[in-house]
Amino acid sequence: MVLVCGPRCKRVATVAKAFSAGRRGITGYLEPAERDLLRKLFADIITMLEPESPAHEDPLAALIGLDMDVTPPSDPALLRLLPDVVKDDADSALEFRQLTERSLRESKIGALRAATMGLDAEKLVLDAEAAKLWSMALNDVRLVLAERLEIRDEKDADRVHEVQDWADADDVESYLSLVYNFVTWLQESLVQAMLAELQRAK
Amino acid sequence: MSVSTAPETDRDLSTHELIAPDVPWELIVWNDPVNLMSYVSYVFQSYFGYSEAKAAELMLQVHTEGKSAVAHGSKEKMEAHAVAMHGFGLWATVQKGGNRG
Repeated sequence: MVLVCGPRCKRVATVAKAFSAGRRGITGYLEPAERDLLRKLFADIITMLEPESPAHEDPLAALIGLDMDVTPPSDPALLRLLPDVVKDDADSALEFRQLTERSLRESKIGALRAATMGLDAEKLVLDAEAAKLWSMALNDVRLVLAERLEIRDEKDADRVHEVQDWADADDVESYLSLVYNFVTWLQESLVQAMLAELQRAK
Repeated sequence: MSVSTAPETDRDLSTHELIAPDVPWELIVWNDPVNLMSYVSYVFQSYFGYSEAKAAELMLQVHTEGKSAVAHGSKEKMEAHAVAMHGFGLWATVQKGGNRG
């Protein structure tokens, strides 16, 4: 896990205004370029998550999300989004995947779509449920970017965190690092507001 | 959610489960270098209803020890929790209680 917002974070914070918890729920403001970036990222993850095969022809199987043809994802980023539920037991993990993977894909796509629609409003105003869906969508974006950036341990995370200046975006890796750091900062800001709301509700 | 996992090769185990349905299972949450500490605390508080202090304790255990058993109960319940954790993007697995994997 990572703890965000060391001294460097203050610099990033000037790029976008934070989410904040207030009387009307959680509000946030994003620049048009940031909205465009997030729209694209959310759309990319939705494309990754859309099942290759259509829902099962058997209406009951389709209804409960059963998918006997499913196999573990070969793309490590997709595997991180749809991980095995049992460790060191491929058979049990696959059996569980047949029963649950399709609905997990659908719930993730649902969160990403909800967050995408929220981007159309000038100002983001999120109730607890909308904030939860937003935080899930941002987290899935980060998981995929982290896999592409080969963040395997805390040292790798620090390496990516070092890249903070958009003037340094001269290759794909530095560009992805900056995008990752932006989404990380955004999620941290949102989750801090959500934690404040949880405390207030007590 | 009810999920039956009784592999044909493991009849002894499934019979045992039928006799002792109350055998405790665990939900393990694993550490990773991506998930935010704040987000993991939020998930533990909002989903499990844990206090801020308990959520922080479990989150720090995941962070420092690499994993933590964050819930205990029936296999079905732990599997449902695992799917919810995967929905949040946390990596969670289920295992029989006491089986340190």
